[in-house]
Amino acid sequence: MNKCALNRDDWAAFLSGNLEGGRRTTMAEHLEKCPACRAEADEMRRVLEKTEAVKAEIRKAVASVNWEALPASIADRVLADASKPVKAPRAGWFRAWAFSLRMKPALAGLTAGLVVGAAAMYFALRAPGPRPGLGTGYYASGEFLDRAELAMARRNTLDYLEKSQYVLLDVFESAGEGGGTPAPFRSEQARDLLSKKKYLNAQLERFQMAKAKAICDQIEMLFLELAQISDELPAAELGRIRGFVEERQLLLKINLVKKELQSEI
Amino acid sequence: MAEPAEIASLLKRIQDGDREAFMTVIRLYQQKVFVMAYSVLRNREDALDAVQETFLRLYQKAGLYKPGNSFQGWLLQMAKNISIDSYRKHQMKRREWETSKPLEEIPVAVEDRTSDSTASDLRSAFARSVEKLANRQKMVFVMRHYNELQFNEISEAMRISVGTAKSLHFKAVQNLRKWLTPDLGMQR
Repeated sequence: MNKCALNRDDWAAFLSGNLEGGRRTTMAEHLEKCPACRAEADEMRRVLEKTEAVKAEIRKAVASVNWEALPASIADRVLADASKPVKAPRAGWFRAWAFSLRMKPALAGLTAGLVVGAAAMYFALRAPGPRPGLGTGYYASGEFLDRAELAMARRNTLDYLEKSQYVLLDVFESAGEGGGTPAPFRSEQARDLLSKKKYLNAQLERFQMAKAKAICDQIEMLFLELAQISDELPAAELGRIRGFVEERQLLLKINLVKKELQSEI
Repeated sequence: MAEPAEIASLLKRIQDGDREAFMTVIRLYQQKVFVMAYSVLRNREDALDAVQETFLRLYQKAGLYKPGNSFQGWLLQMAKNISIDSYRKHQMKRREWETSKPLEEIPVAVEDRTSDSTASDLRSAFARSVEKLANRQKMVFVMRHYNELQFNEISEAMRISVGTAKSLHFKAVQNLRKWLTPDLGMQR
């Protein structure tokens, strides 16, 4: 490109005869005087002459069309399209949507990911509190736990009654024959059973085991005395306790309550 | 070319569903629209499809025309956009077809518009060079030389200033000159 300060935009317009008035005259005068610009203009003219070949092709295509019939043909098609009722939303929209997903694997993958993610979030956040398989490693209903605690209370009561029975029988033997378990050991057994009774009281009250509680309370009263028995305790005192047990038929009542508890376990 | 008032009246009637008014507009501009479409698509049938699509769009959007602007520029802008869309679709289909076909089934005689092969046919070389132009340069060149529009009409159709249209045209000619130098036997 030469260095002449002519309006570059006017070049092609001048060459295609589209430059009017004084600017055209100025350009023509310059080309007369400037060989470099004239050479460039000649090259551009030769390029633009080649458009004639393409224009000839276009003219040939234009000549091949029936322009008389085309307007009616287009109008018929366009008006026919326009007169078609607007389609109401189809019942099979989901099928169409699914079909479009099938045609777009990336979109389908994204949608599947969203569905799975939403489901995972739902199951993770849906309900507060303990859930199966989480936290402590096991799960039990409140009703089951209540039943288990009642069964345990009955077993503890049964165990207490049996041990009490042994101690009382031992007392009877001591009082009758002057032998049996030594007094210090018997006192220790009584104290052990008294501590168990403290633990048992809460269970007996919670599960309203009135009959068992009544007999256990009487035994407890006896053991309070037995716990204080020492070697120096006179045989007359032991005889008094034995009389109390017999009078109240305590051993018989213990057996009855034991049977009742065993049948319920 | 129809007077602006006449066009406004015809468009009003088209909005009311007047078939005769619609056909009148088609008769007035069908060849210009065809030339625009053919310049882009270089295929008679594709160009006719684009012409129909352009007038369908006109029928649907006649109410959007702003009186005072060039109707021809507005219409040719629609034609240009539709033709470019159509060209892209056809190009994509052609690529898919060619890649899905066995090599021996692809016709070798089909003109390759994008190839840089040194064909002796100057017309083909020129057409390929026009295809190589940047989009805006190509559209200005096509409108100026194939549609034979004035720069003010081109500026309206492309929504650019007249100065920009002239500048793009000059750059297009310069590029063609540069690319066609070997074929035209020019000396640099």
